Amino acid sequence: MKQLRNIWQNFDFWLFSAVLILSILGIALIRSSIAGNLELVDHPQRQTTFLAISLVVLFVVAAVDYKYWMTLIQPMYLVTMVFLLFVFTAEARFGAVRWLEVGQILIQPAELAKIVIILTLANFFAKQDNRILKFSTILRSALLVGGLLIWIFLQPNLSTTIVLLVIWAAFLWITGIRIRYILIAIGLVLFVLVIGALTGFSFLEDYQKLRITNFLFPDPNARYGETYNVDQALITIGTGGLFGQGYNQSTQVQLRFLKVRHTDFIFSVLAAEFGFVGTVLVLLLLVVVIVRCFRIAQNATDTFGTLIAYGFGVLIFFQSIVNIGVNMNVLPVTGLTLPFVSYGGSSLLSLMLGIGLVESVAMRSEKRTE
Amino acid sequence: MSVYPQRNSKFENWRFLVLFILIGTIFGFYILRLFDIQIIQGEDFIAQANDNRTQVIYEPAIRGTIYDRNGYILAQNVPSYNVVVTPGYLPADEGDIQDIFRELAELIDMPVSQGDTDEETVRNFTPCYNDLGISQIVFIATTNWPYQSTALKCDVSQDVAMVVMENSEDWPGIDIEISSVRHYPTGELTSEIIGFLGPVPAVLEDYYVDLGFVANRDKVGYAGVEQSLNDILAGRNGRELVEVNVAGEIIRTLEEPVEPTPGQDVYLTIDSRLQSIAREALINELNYWNAYSGRTISNNGVVIAMNPKTGEVLALVSYPNFENNRMERIIPGYYYEQLSNDPQRPLFNHAISAEHPPGSVYKMTSALGVLNEGVVTPEYEVEDPGTITVIQRFYENDPGVPRQFVCWDRNGHGMVNFLEGVAFSCNIYWHKVAGGFGDEVPDGGLGPWLMSEYAQALGYGSETGIELPGESDGLVPNPTWKRLTLGENWATGDTYTAAIGQGFVLATPLQVLNSISTIANGGKLMDVTIVDKVVDQDGEIVQQLTPTVRWDITQDPVINMYDGNVETSETKTVEPWVIELANQGMRMVVTEGTASRYETDRHDDLFRNDTSRSAGKTGTAEYCDNVAQAQGLCVPEAWPAHAWYVGYAPWDDAEIAVVAFIYNGKEGATFAAPIVRQVIDAYFELKLIDTPVQP
Repeated sequence: MKQLRNIWQNFDFWLFSAVLILSILGIALIRSSIAGNLELVDHPQRQTTFLAISLVVLFVVAAVDYKYWMTLIQPMYLVTMVFLLFVFTAEARFGAVRWLEVGQILIQPAELAKIVIILTLANFFAKQDNRILKFSTILRSALLVGGLLIWIFLQPNLSTTIVLLVIWAAFLWITGIRIRYILIAIGLVLFVLVIGALTGFSFLEDYQKLRITNFLFPDPNARYGETYNVDQALITIGTGGLFGQGYNQSTQVQLRFLKVRHTDFIFSVLAAEFGFVGTVLVLLLLVVVIVRCFRIAQNATDTFGTLIAYGFGVLIFFQSIVNIGVNMNVLPVTGLTLPFVSYGGSSLLSLMLGIGLVESVAMRSEKRTE
Repeated sequence: MSVYPQRNSKFENWRFLVLFILIGTIFGFYILRLFDIQIIQGEDFIAQANDNRTQVIYEPAIRGTIYDRNGYILAQNVPSYNVVVTPGYLPADEGDIQDIFRELAELIDMPVSQGDTDEETVRNFTPCYNDLGISQIVFIATTNWPYQSTALKCDVSQDVAMVVMENSEDWPGIDIEISSVRHYPTGELTSEIIGFLGPVPAVLEDYYVDLGFVANRDKVGYAGVEQSLNDILAGRNGRELVEVNVAGEIIRTLEEPVEPTPGQDVYLTIDSRLQSIAREALINELNYWNAYSGRTISNNGVVIAMNPKTGEVLALVSYPNFENNRMERIIPGYYYEQLSNDPQRPLFNHAISAEHPPGSVYKMTSALGVLNEGVVTPEYEVEDPGTITVIQRFYENDPGVPRQFVCWDRNGHGMVNFLEGVAFSCNIYWHKVAGGFGDEVPDGGLGPWLMSEYAQALGYGSETGIELPGESDGLVPNPTWKRLTLGENWATGDTYTAAIGQGFVLATPLQVLNSISTIANGGKLMDVTIVDKVVDQDGEIVQQLTPTVRWDITQDPVINMYDGNVETSETKTVEPWVIELANQGMRMVVTEGTASRYETDRHDDLFRNDTSRSAGKTGTAEYCDNVAQAQGLCVPEAWPAHAWYVGYAPWDDAEIAVVAFIYNGKEGATFAAPIVRQVIDAYFELKLIDTPVQP
């Protein structure tokens, strides 16, 4: 048994520092993103409040042994499903409803679903004894994922759907899925794509189809069309040069040519104001976060701990590369935010909760004493 | 080996390794991509960002006014009031906005809501020309340019504009924009001279944009002096480089702004009163003859009056023309189409652009030639039997084919000398002296080469230089031209027909007038001009008409001599006595020649009792163009003909010269000469009015 001080000795300060720097940088960039837009004025304040709450959550979660969560997983799964059902049946706001109003706070059940899916899958796979992943196990895990995924897909919220699918696939990968299943899965995906092409992708919403079309075949003459946001993001990044135009100095940001700059395109704000050097440093910080998660996963004492740390590592990795890829116009627009940096209380809170869990795993791994 | 003693052996390490490689690869690729965007393509993107944030504002320059020679306004700018909205400055409260819209709607008689704002409507949106409601226009403006003003209703009355301006405190975001609209008070009286304005044409957009014009806003001249003097009239737009945000709101000025330079005012040499009389005379003449004949003989004619001494054009009428005051605000599509499709071509300036055979007026070129070259003496008499036959030869030793030439008077004029040849416009006389006739006029007469030289000396075959767009240069044929163009040798008959201004010869009415003016002016060919002076906005005269002699044929050796078909280096001038005799001949036209006759009730006066002591030359030019051909009028011996008359007065010291041309006018003396007399008489009456009474 460990002493309490011994537990905190294993707290991963690299991970925590990187996350903290990214979050504070995020608030600074959100402040720069206001650019005279009155609706955004209170956003840095709100994000700071959320960061404070998130840090408390992080430490509380880290202090608690992650194994205690096992018993909570089933109720959380059910609650999340109720939330999602509620959102699904609620009357539409903004075309597709993704928010749930609880008192003064809007919470996004989709963010909650990401945590719950990671915990659920970690719990599920930790209980499998066999070294080799059986097909029936894959099917049962698919049912677990599908129970939440179906409501998110029907919202429709394609980006979270993809995130959940990626997390599931990542779990299958690390728990030892056979290569031949992967090949079969690729075959199936191709089959779906062919079917989709034949049916004109009728299962996608118009705006989703448009985003993909615009990514694949941009209209070179569009001035204010659908490609506008991505074009402006690219211009914004390009103005950064080596050292950037300086904090609060990017004309693209301050004169509001860059849209949704506090969330989806905050990476462009970063690149414009801090340049190549600053942006690469931030990329390295993200790599530190992801790699630390995976190292903690490798060093965890039990399978459940490994899979928790691994799951959050994958989540942060995937969200980061998709968001940055959209900003640099190598991926179609999805609406995924940049972890820790983009504005968004629910997102920050859930990510910090995840980091708390990862720290909890780290603190309870047995490190060789010098 | 791992530093951790207790490992979770359930997971295969290589699966983690694959993930680490994936992280490295993707982030590595992103760093390369970032390097590409920021460092390699950085300059491009910075340029695009600067393009986003900077905007050049061109403050419109005021266009110059056009006056006639007496200061009478022919084109000016008048204010036009537009009700505009700047959505960015509308009140924040939706209810307040609706209140404003309701009150405004009532005032300007425009629905609050009408029409859709779908993609198509938005794309086709043109301020002033749409049937949308206030809300729809505000919606479009809010989406696209919230901080620019957009016209809700254009050209409202001054009263409405005043009410809106009074309410500007209560109606933030609603304003009156005063724009300037070109106004042509004289309308179709001077439209062929003034022209009209239109949008910057797409093909010339680069040219005009380089000059600081704003496409889709600024207008440029499309015809007349509005076009030819556009550079002087338009002035130069002011220029201000500003920084804007995405909504188009101006943040700050980046460079010292350049104020607009107003256009300069132009005074034309035109006398509107004379222009009006000339136009009236022409229209009355056409109406009379059309009514008299019981069918439409002609609806197309030209009258030009100029001062032979200075080259100033006092009146220039091309009929039919167009109503440029209908094109003040925009060019109405249906009207423009109607003008374009009119077979009489109202948009075409017949006075300077139409090329017609000049007919007998052209005999004056041969007249100078035959005396100056000594082909005949003035007293030498040539026989006009009414009909002659020449052997048409295309080359030397060609046995030839006989061809008949007739005088307009089939009875012939008997024995004719130089002055009689001019006065009676005796075709046979001019055939013989210009082309030679056996022993009577030996050595082939004047010949085609010298005839063309004398024609060119009088301005035929080249532009007069009048400041109007679209001037034609006519055609003075010679043997080389014929070989190159028609692939055929020059024949004797070609000289015969050219001598009387038929065959291949083509000239514009202005050229015909200018050639006779030159003789009236003692041989000085003037540069024809329509611009009296140019005045800047401070009243300073920046350009004043100075009469320019292009050449004086009695001083400048402009006649090239020929040896056969070869031009020699020898040149010569025209003897002053030759010009004197030509003038005398043309005086005789009026006193006892072709213009002294009277054949109808209407014109029994013609030039009798002419106090102005005028001289002139008639012309009846046979033609066969597409129109005549289509009507089956081209019958040999009875060709259709245009009527010409050029007159000037006083004949020995001319200060006014006038040409009248009537398309298909049959005969110069009866159709064209009466118009010329009216204009000459009016000129002297106006002169009397303008002369200050000596106390």
